[in-house]
Amino acid sequence: MRIKKYLALLVSMMLLGGMLAGCSSAAGTEEKEVKKDPNKKAILVVSFGTSYADTRKVTIEACEEKLDKAFPDYEMRRAFTSNIIIKKLKERDGIEVDEPTQALEKLKAEGFSEVVVQSLHVMNGAEYDDLTAVVNQYKDDFDKIKMGSPLLTSVQDYKDLVEALKVQIGELEENEAVVFMGHGTHHYANATYSCLDYMFEDMGVNAYVGTVEGYPTLDNVINKLKKNNIEKVKLMPLMVVAGDHANNDMAGDEEDSWKSVLKKEGFVVETYLHGLGENEKVQDMYVNHAKEAMKEETTEE
Amino acid sequence: MVKYNMKILSIMICFASILLFTGCSDTTQNNSADNKEYKISFVDDDQKQINIAEPAKKIISLYSAHTENLYKLGMDDEIIGVGKSDIYPAKVLEKKKFDYKNADPESIILEEPDLVLIRPFINRSRPDFVQALEKAGINVVSLYPESFDEFDDYIKKLSFLTGTEDKANELLKDFYAKIDDVKEKTKNIDDKVNVYFESSEQDYKTVTVDSMPGMAIDIAGGINVASDVKPIKEGSSIASYGTERILEKADDIDVFVSQNGVMNAGGNKHSITIRPGFDTIKAIKNDRVYVINQKIISSPTFRYLDGINEMCRMFYPEIFDDYSKYDVDEDVTREELAEIVVKFKHKPVFVPTSKYYRKDHKGHTYGMFEDVDMNDEKINFVEAAVTSGYIDGFKEDDKEYFYPNKKVTREEFAKVLFIMSDIKPIDTKINISDIAEVENKKIVQMIIDNKIMTLKNNKFNPKEYVTGKDVVKSLDLLSSIN
Repeated sequence: MRIKKYLALLVSMMLLGGMLAGCSSAAGTEEKEVKKDPNKKAILVVSFGTSYADTRKVTIEACEEKLDKAFPDYEMRRAFTSNIIIKKLKERDGIEVDEPTQALEKLKAEGFSEVVVQSLHVMNGAEYDDLTAVVNQYKDDFDKIKMGSPLLTSVQDYKDLVEALKVQIGELEENEAVVFMGHGTHHYANATYSCLDYMFEDMGVNAYVGTVEGYPTLDNVINKLKKNNIEKVKLMPLMVVAGDHANNDMAGDEEDSWKSVLKKEGFVVETYLHGLGENEKVQDMYVNHAKEAMKEETTEE
Repeated sequence: MVKYNMKILSIMICFASILLFTGCSDTTQNNSADNKEYKISFVDDDQKQINIAEPAKKIISLYSAHTENLYKLGMDDEIIGVGKSDIYPAKVLEKKKFDYKNADPESIILEEPDLVLIRPFINRSRPDFVQALEKAGINVVSLYPESFDEFDDYIKKLSFLTGTEDKANELLKDFYAKIDDVKEKTKNIDDKVNVYFESSEQDYKTVTVDSMPGMAIDIAGGINVASDVKPIKEGSSIASYGTERILEKADDIDVFVSQNGVMNAGGNKHSITIRPGFDTIKAIKNDRVYVINQKIISSPTFRYLDGINEMCRMFYPEIFDDYSKYDVDEDVTREELAEIVVKFKHKPVFVPTSKYYRKDHKGHTYGMFEDVDMNDEKINFVEAAVTSGYIDGFKEDDKEYFYPNKKVTREEFAKVLFIMSDIKPIDTKINISDIAEVENKKIVQMIIDNKIMTLKNNKFNPKEYVTGKDVVKSLDLLSSIN
């Protein structure tokens, strides 16, 4: 009989617990309707992020500042997509950075009516797809929410980027070429790299594009270098931030770094350790992409 | 309702009987323990009495240091399984992997090991896992030397378990002789360097003086500037230090060493140098920030010697990276050249991580040379020279060779010089009459034009061997132009 009593008590406690939990969750879903302010507009600059402070300053922050200045009516906000970097910055440097969802939640809660999300991605790849999916979830939460396209989207973008890169490439000798190191991806947007390579050729710039994890590979590039009697190579990262990949995979003293592989083939190698984000013309391209996004009218409904 | 109660009752009986039965089996074990003579008998680090009749023949080791030390004791064949992230020596990559965190103990029981080696941490985090193994009648031994003083005792216990007492004694004797050698070399250094050791960048933690890194600093002839620290808790080797105290000693810190390779490790060179105020630290001003892998400085293995040697190189490169003994008229071998270039470049030795092995390496993979054993004296130089791309290895039928004792041709040496430097082509081209016999024409031409190597009667003689003297001379010339 005692057992029965205890059982009854236990069951009733469980029921009570469930009811309480139910109550609290019901209270949680009942949100306050935030009044949207038509004058509150934001530009959310999204990048992968980097834990290297000096590089962050000259790349991501430089782009953010440019966008901030270009759009005085818009409040500039930052988000990083890498949770590892967000965690590291918080724990190590005491810097709080939102991920895109958090940033959008905050804008929503603060009554923003318009948001332009400008990503600092190079291409329309998997990470950009992920960001698009996040942004789409908020399309009913703002009067207008638009996304600025990644660096390489339209044909004009490729032309503009080659023009921008000419500045950092400078004068090349006849037997000299630049090799850009891109990340490479399993995503179909990997074709971006070959397209840029083609554009370099079309515009008469002696530069080639290779990737770490996709196509073209460094071997593909080396074949072209040899065919074109190139003897000197300048290595540059085709990445917004010159971080681990640029320092180690590209320019490191490691057996399979691009520098080592090229030197073993007899090329004279110079390395340029500055991310695309440092290039002012690249920064301007992002500003233009954000401008285009702002111009877009809300066509739905 | 009656039915219900019956059910509960039967469940309770079940529980009670389980308790009873386990109780029973325990006592029988204890009884027999008292009656029998055991060859192997000691108390392990979980305070459990170990009684084993024979040295183990089928061992599963679930902690990387145990695995490494067992290999050192020659247990290559006896080890039938290792921990999930064990990667050293490279031979363990071929062994079956077991993960105590998520795995079912059944996967280990099925292998029928006669010994499973763990450490107290495993018992604390997965007691159920350990109990299941014990219940299956497997000897589970938990070992972990909390301090360096216990290293001998720990190695000896491993040797009892495996019947390798002689080998263990020999290894320990050699280990301490080598430490004494280092002490001998460092004790009379006049101007000793002041060292700060960072064990974690969170809260700027350092280590206590009697920890393994703390002792290594001392053996390598450094003075620990944080010798006044108290451990975070008694018996711990970790101690909080904080920026304020570090910066107070900014002018004193000659060398800043940070430990990597673990969770919550120290910062990397970049993150250390950009910390607010750290630009006032002498070591940062003089570019003397170094990173050392935890595996060779804080882990209870014989590779601790590598860690000590690395510290010596960081503290006193003029002594420990000196290669002038090779400045003689004798042909150098490939492994000697490896030592010379690693010292010339002050390149740290390469310490592999599990992340390293997750990636495919096109050329060489650490630890894969058939002809350079993990116990070879020059293995660290060979691996550092090859993994940094300075010297090439060879691949034949999918196997890797270094040919450590082969002599070095002039053409091979020219390539090494080119790869480890920033030599550029110059306009004045020197005529090389036998350039047709050279394979890497561009490289040799640049080396000759830059006068890093010289010709004999206008000939390069690519197949001739280089002597130690030739090598040292070229390196002197190289540092004068770079």
